[in-house]
Amino acid sequence: MDWQGWALFGLLATTALTAVMIAFQMAGWTRLDLPLVLGSLVTPDPDKARIAGFFIHLAAGQVFALGYAAVFALLGRATWWIGALLGLLHVAVALTVILPLLPGIHPRMASTRAGPASRAALEPPGLLGLNYGIQTPAVAVAAHLVYGSLLGLLLTAG
Amino acid sequence: MDAMHSPALADYGLLGDTRTAALVSADGGIDWLCAPTFDGDPVFGALLGGPDAGTFRAGPARASKQIVRRYRPHTATLETVWATDGGTLTLTEAMVAEVSGRLLPTTLLIRRLEADGAPAEAAVELNPRFGERHLRPRVRQDRHVVCEWGALAMSLGVSGGVRVLPGTTTTITVEPGRPVVMVLALAYTEPLVWVDPETAWDLVEADEARWREWASGISEDVPFREAVLRSLLTLKLLTYSPSGAPVAAPTTSLPEDPGGIRNWDYRYAWPRDASIGIAAFLGLGKDGEAVNFLNWLLHASRLQRPRLPALLTLTGGHVPRERTLEGWPGYAGSAPVRVGNGAAHQHQLDGYGWVLDAAWNLVRQGRRLNSETWRAMRSFTDLVARRWPEPDAGIWEIRADAAHHVHSKIMGWLALDRALRVARSHRISTRRRRRWESAREAIAADIRTQGFDAAKNTYTRSYGSGDLDSALLILPVTGFEAPDSDRLRGTVDAVGSELSAGYPFLYRYPPGQDGLPGNEGAFLPCSFWLAQALALTGRAAEATEMFEALLAHASPLGLFSEEIEPASGALLGNYPQALTHAALVQAALALREAAKEKLPGSPAKSFLPRGHSKAS
Repeated sequence: MDWQGWALFGLLATTALTAVMIAFQMAGWTRLDLPLVLGSLVTPDPDKARIAGFFIHLAAGQVFALGYAAVFALLGRATWWIGALLGLLHVAVALTVILPLLPGIHPRMASTRAGPASRAALEPPGLLGLNYGIQTPAVAVAAHLVYGSLLGLLLTAG
Repeated sequence: MDAMHSPALADYGLLGDTRTAALVSADGGIDWLCAPTFDGDPVFGALLGGPDAGTFRAGPARASKQIVRRYRPHTATLETVWATDGGTLTLTEAMVAEVSGRLLPTTLLIRRLEADGAPAEAAVELNPRFGERHLRPRVRQDRHVVCEWGALAMSLGVSGGVRVLPGTTTTITVEPGRPVVMVLALAYTEPLVWVDPETAWDLVEADEARWREWASGISEDVPFREAVLRSLLTLKLLTYSPSGAPVAAPTTSLPEDPGGIRNWDYRYAWPRDASIGIAAFLGLGKDGEAVNFLNWLLHASRLQRPRLPALLTLTGGHVPRERTLEGWPGYAGSAPVRVGNGAAHQHQLDGYGWVLDAAWNLVRQGRRLNSETWRAMRSFTDLVARRWPEPDAGIWEIRADAAHHVHSKIMGWLALDRALRVARSHRISTRRRRRWESAREAIAADIRTQGFDAAKNTYTRSYGSGDLDSALLILPVTGFEAPDSDRLRGTVDAVGSELSAGYPFLYRYPPGQDGLPGNEGAFLPCSFWLAQALALTGRAAEATEMFEALLAHASPLGLFSEEIEPASGALLGNYPQALTHAALVQAALALREAAKEKLPGSPAKSFLPRGHSKAS
C-alpha cells in the first residue's frame, strides 16, 4: 500500500472532485451541493453546514481513496485508466446506493415516512440524483472520473 | 391578463424577502416575481409579458367583491378579503425574510386561504414560466409539485393533500376553521428545501414578529409615522440582503407614459438612491441600515474607483447591456420591455455629492470612517475637484448630449464641502485640503454667475438655459444657500409654480424636454422635495398640507411609484420606487425639524390651490 500517497493524494483528488462539482453547480448544470447535503447531517445552519460538509466530504474522500489504494496494491499496478474505471464503479455506487439511501439516515432530508411534525427538509436527491437536475448524473460521473484518474496517476501500487 | 388592459399599478401589493420581490394583484395573482434575485429572470411575468409569461393566482373562484386589502400592521404580510356567498374568503401571504442559521429555502412564499362564515370556493392557478422565452418547466410530483429549469427549481406544497398541477386551475372548497396553506419555495444551484405546509404558518408569524420588533425601533415623534413606517419597510424590502444593495425598484419597464417607450429597467442599485436612503434611515435611528448601505457602496465601487458608476448590479458588478425582450407586449401595451440599463455608462456628477453627504451624515452622528472608507471618499472628492468643469448627464439621465446641469454642479460643490467637513476629524494633507477648498469656491462662483437667472431670481436647469429643474429643490439641505436666502426662496417659488403639474404634483423639468417622444407624468420624489423645501424654509403649514395631499395619492397599501398622472392620479413608472419612499421619509423628517425648530416663516407665495385654506 502506498500509504504516503494515500494520505496526500487522497486529499488532492477529493479537492479536485469537489471543485469539479462546485464548478458545474455554479454553471447551473446541477443543484447537487455536496457540502450542504453532507454538512446538514450535523447542523441546520446552511452556512455552517457548507463548512462542516466540506470537511466531511474530505474525510469520506480519504476513505474511498483507501479503497482505490487497496485495489491498486492488489492488482500490482496503478494507472490513470484503472483509476478512471474505479471512478465509474464508485460513482455508480454513489448514485444508485448512497444518494437514494441518504433520506434514511439524514435528519434534515425529506422522507416519505416523515410526519406532520416535520418542518423544513432538503429535497431527497432521488435515484441517480436526478431530483437535483437532469444533468446531475453526468456531472457526478465527470467528477469521479477526475477523482479516479488522479488517484491512478498519483498513487503507486506498492 | 390582457396586456392592453392591465390592472392599475395601485392594485398591486408588494411581497418581499430582501432577495427578490413579488407583485400581487387585487385578485390574488402574483404577476411579477424574478428569481433568484431582484434582477433575475421572471418566473411569473404576466405583468409585462401577458398570460404566457406566467402567474400564480389564489383567490375566489368567481368574481367577488373585495372588502379589505391591507398590510398587517407594521409587517410585510399582505391580507386580502373578498365577500363570498354567506361569508368571506381571506388570502394572507408573505415572503419569509432573512432567517439565518436555519435550513429554509432562500426564497419562501407562503399563502393562506381562509373562509369565514361559510365554505368558500377558491381557485388556485400555478403557471410558472421562466425567462424571456416563457420556458415551461420540467414538472414532477413528489410530496410537493416540483418545477425545474436546470439550475432553478420551484416547489409548491399545499396543505390537506391538495394537488395543484402547473398550467391548470384547481378549485378548492375552503371550509371555515380549516385554512389551506400553500408553500412556494425556490432554489437556485442548490437543493430545494421543502417546508411542510401544515406547519409553515409558524414561519410567517415569526417573520411578522421580526418586522414588528424592527418597526418598534422607529422613533415615535416622526410625523405621519404610519406612512413613514410603510416607506421604511418598503425600503427594507427593496434591499438585497446578501450585499446590502438598495434596488431602485423590483420591476423593469413599467411605463412612465402608458403605451409609450419610456420604459426602463430599475432592478439595479443607484449610489444616489443608496445615499438618500442613508439619510432616511439615519434620521430615524436605524444606523445599521445606513452603515450597510455605505458598506455596499464601498464594495460595489471598488473596481471602478475613483469613478462612481451611476448604477451597479446588486453585487457591485457592471450592469448588463440594455436590450429589449422580444415579443413581450409590456404593461398596458407599453413596449419595449427592457433589461439592462444604458444609463450605467453616463457621467453623473451629482452622484458624488450624494455619497459624500451620506458619509458626512454618518460622521455627524458620531461615527468615524475607517481608513478604507475615507480613502474611497478622498478619491471621489479628488475626481470631483478635477472634473467638475465638465458637462454631465445629470440626475435625470437624459440620453441626449451632456450639459452643465446646475443641480449637478451644486452636488459637486456639496461633495467638496462635505469632504472638507469630514476632513476636520480625519487625516488629510494640507495640499489636498487647499485643492478641495479652491475647487469648492470655484464651483460656487461658477454656479452663481452662470446658473442663476437674476431676472427671475432663480437658479436654472443648466448654464444658459431659461428652464427650471425640480432637482434644485434639494438646495435647502445642501447649505449652498442659507435657509433665508432670497435666491433659495426664489428658486423654490419658481420651481413650485413653473413646474407644477397641478397641486400637489411637479414635473421634474419642463415636459417634453428630454428628446424622447411622448409624455411623462409628474415626478413624485420632486413633489416630496418641495414639501421638504417648504418645511426647511419656514413654511411648515404649507409643507404639511402638501405632504398630506401627496399621501392621499399613495396606493391603497401606501405604496408609491416614481411618477403619477396628474389628471387621473394613476401611478406610473416602476413600482414601488425606493427613491419616492426615501423622499417621503426625508420630507417627514423635515416636517419634524420644522416643528422642533419653529423655522421662521416667509412671505413667499403659496402653492396651495386657489380657494384652499392654509392650515393654521
